[in-house]
Amino acid sequence: MPLFDSDFLKKLEYLSLISKRVFRGSLLAQRRTMQLGTGIEFADHREYTPGDDFRYLDWNLFARHNELLLKRFQEEEDLHVYFLLDCSRSMAFGEPSKFDFARQVVAALAYIALADLDRIAVTVFANDIVADFPLTRGKGRILALLKFLENLEAQGEDTNLERVATGFIHRDQRRGLVVVASDLYDPNGFERGIDLLRHRRYEPHVVQMYDKYEKEPPDLLGDVEMWDVESGNARKVTVTEKNLKQYKQLFDEFQTGVQNYCNRYQLGCTRTSTELKFDELILKMMRQAGSVR
Amino acid sequence: MFLTNVTALWWVLLAVPVVIFYILKIRLKRVPVSTVIFWRQIFDEKKPRSLWQKLRHLVSLFVQLLLLALLVAALAEPYFSWEATSKRRIILVLDNSAGMKSTETAPTRWDKAKEEAAAVVQGLRFRDEMAIVAAGTQPRVVCGLTGHQKTLRETIAALPATDGPGKLADAIAVARRLVSREQAEGESRIVVVTDAAGPDLAKVLAEEEKKPEAERAKLTIIKVGAPAPNVGITQFQVRRSTVDPIGYEILVEIVNASDADSPEFRFELTLNDDRPIDVVPLKLKPGETWTKTNNYTTADGGQLKGRLTVKGEKGSEPLADALAADNTALALLPSREKLPVHLHAPGGNHFLTKVLEANSLVLLTLSKKELPKEFPAGSIKVFHRETPAKLPPGNVIVVDPQNDTDLWKLGNKIPLAIVTKQEKDSPFLLHVRLDNVILPDARQIAFTPAAGKPALLAASLQNEPLVSLIERPEGKVLVLTVDLDRSELPFRTAFPILVMNALGVFSGASGELREALATGATADVNLPAGEFVLKAPDGSTRALPKGPIQTTVGPFDAVGIWSIVGDKPVEEFAVNLMNKTESDLRPDESVPTIASAQDAGLVGGFGGRPVWWYLTIAAFALAALEWYLYQRRWIS
Repeated sequence: MPLFDSDFLKKLEYLSLISKRVFRGSLLAQRRTMQLGTGIEFADHREYTPGDDFRYLDWNLFARHNELLLKRFQEEEDLHVYFLLDCSRSMAFGEPSKFDFARQVVAALAYIALADLDRIAVTVFANDIVADFPLTRGKGRILALLKFLENLEAQGEDTNLERVATGFIHRDQRRGLVVVASDLYDPNGFERGIDLLRHRRYEPHVVQMYDKYEKEPPDLLGDVEMWDVESGNARKVTVTEKNLKQYKQLFDEFQTGVQNYCNRYQLGCTRTSTELKFDELILKMMRQAGSVR
Repeated sequence: MFLTNVTALWWVLLAVPVVIFYILKIRLKRVPVSTVIFWRQIFDEKKPRSLWQKLRHLVSLFVQLLLLALLVAALAEPYFSWEATSKRRIILVLDNSAGMKSTETAPTRWDKAKEEAAAVVQGLRFRDEMAIVAAGTQPRVVCGLTGHQKTLRETIAALPATDGPGKLADAIAVARRLVSREQAEGESRIVVVTDAAGPDLAKVLAEEEKKPEAERAKLTIIKVGAPAPNVGITQFQVRRSTVDPIGYEILVEIVNASDADSPEFRFELTLNDDRPIDVVPLKLKPGETWTKTNNYTTADGGQLKGRLTVKGEKGSEPLADALAADNTALALLPSREKLPVHLHAPGGNHFLTKVLEANSLVLLTLSKKELPKEFPAGSIKVFHRETPAKLPPGNVIVVDPQNDTDLWKLGNKIPLAIVTKQEKDSPFLLHVRLDNVILPDARQIAFTPAAGKPALLAASLQNEPLVSLIERPEGKVLVLTVDLDRSELPFRTAFPILVMNALGVFSGASGELREALATGATADVNLPAGEFVLKAPDGSTRALPKGPIQTTVGPFDAVGIWSIVGDKPVEEFAVNLMNKTESDLRPDESVPTIASAQDAGLVGGFGGRPVWWYLTIAAFALAALEWYLYQRRWIS
């Protein structure tokens, strides 16, 4: 069964319409930049200094108060949205796999961004950057993006988000929103990679996904040979009830850690189980963004 | 240490599949996980001790093999050498008397007694032997000395409780004889399993106390049951009325064998279940005995039943006390047939006519003038004064003969004869007292050789026969040389009784009343030609000797109607408990008893139990330990 079938495309269109009608593009695009410039939306006044463009002098104010003040406008610009998609082998775990789910989510968000005239780029990573879909604009590029995503395979050993972020920030590109779609199972910790993005004035949005069997591992009690699908290493262990309880506690702590980290730095954060449909997740994200505004 | 069942060691082969399964088990199940980040934290932070880690699987195998070894050892039934050398001889006396059917100990005392007996059997050690003596109704050895436990168990299981009286003293005497016969080596012990009711045990123990120490039997008394209140019929007898030929006197005795007042109940007396005779509401005080004699008249006969009942929702319901056997009592009343009697009395005799007419069984014909040439078939002929020269065949009564016959010649009158001698054992004179009865003008009589040697039933001071019995091949002749008109005999009650007895004897055995028997009793019977069986109330039969023969049947060990059956029923017996000792379900507290075979130390060989029992317990404990360790994942 293809990952992106016609049904998927219909859902993308639907999500795009919803994002325009209900949230008026508030999710990603049409973001006001912090720069003031030649926009049409009034921002504030400042004193006139020689050399300023007379066209922006507020003559009404001058007439009333005999003061030369210059009108300032907020400049609007299109947003750059970067997707960092985790393709490590751990993402291939689960039914449906986290990787499939992540690709669907990335495709959906990218489609909405393209529909809002934003620019998007996709960077695929595992222990390092594996593949790139270059910065592009316009809805017409969606099929190319889908083809790119469809051709991807889960690969690579231990996830190394720091190395990936380092490679990403050293690129000559405009700042923008960085959507990190990953399970965040980085042996060295996901925080350092996100920190790098943050410090370089990117706006990271974390979409962390997990499988239901990762949260509640079945059939693990007793003597088992535990096989790490990411590294390929096997380990013989005896899992007791106590161990299982500890695991669940650690997993919950990890999830809470992700949320706390994002809250601390006011980063967008979406944690989800792959049991959820991708379109439901997008709607959930829209609702979260709406509530923020 | 030896093994009883060496072949059980073949079960050790089960170790092979255990090891195979163990080997299969250590090929662990492979479980994919998306990351080991969390597991690493769990396992690397608290590393298991490496030695234990290595041994964990081996310990698991060891525990399983140990479990198997324990079970196999238990199946092999090991025993110690001292168990083999110290042979025990146990004579088990089982009280299967009526009181053991008491239901205050569920389901019954007898079932509990069998449980205890089975426990003693189960505790027999190697080379131990046991015999079983039943003490109910009639003591008997139901299983000789043997060490074969299956035989002993089957004997106990098949031994029924009886409704008979307990004969513990006799049974213990039998057990003593068995012990002394086999007094070769080892320990001998008599184990009595009983409800300890009745005085027998106390007497036995008292007698044992008197004996020298060396001669005393090792007596262990295991008591089953608890004191239970009981109301029971302890007497139920019927006899013929002495004044009414179809009348009966019914004696009933009911006892409240309890330390408390009895509940309200009724005594119901019925004939053939459909003819009520008497209903008496009763409530007896502790230990009270209630007695009553009922009079009843019937010529039909049938089954007379006395029952203790309570008033239920739908009429009478049986009294629900601990013992049911004594709540019902039976008696058999024979049906009475009409007896043809011809009275020839020239001019008539008022006394004879009336006494015969008063007997409701008599079918009387009279002749007052000439002697009839023929008499009714099978009739008893009564001649007053005028007697044929040759007496007719059949049974004849002659009163005050005035002429000679072929059997006697008359002599002079005795002016004032007084009865001084009386044959008390004669059935003709049953309940008849003729002492000092004055008989004026009685006739002397001399019997001819044709009369043989007549029996002198009553005689005067001069030994003159006053009442004589001549036995002819063609019939009996009872001769009364008494002038009824001048004698005081007709005014005495002895006269109708004498006539009734004579008619009864002449009519033969038909209508004979056989008294109700108590359980444990026997009865003498004359069996006609043929083959017969004794049929018990439950339908089971016992073979009897081939007739014709006079034999003894019984002892009867169940209440109800017993019958001797051949081609047709020959005779029936009503059997009732009628035993105050068995109806009293309170144990004799003065007798030292032990509550169970376990407490008596008879159940096991090592520390009270056989070795295999401990091995089985150890196996279960080990299984529980393994389960616990497995659940904790200390072993796999």
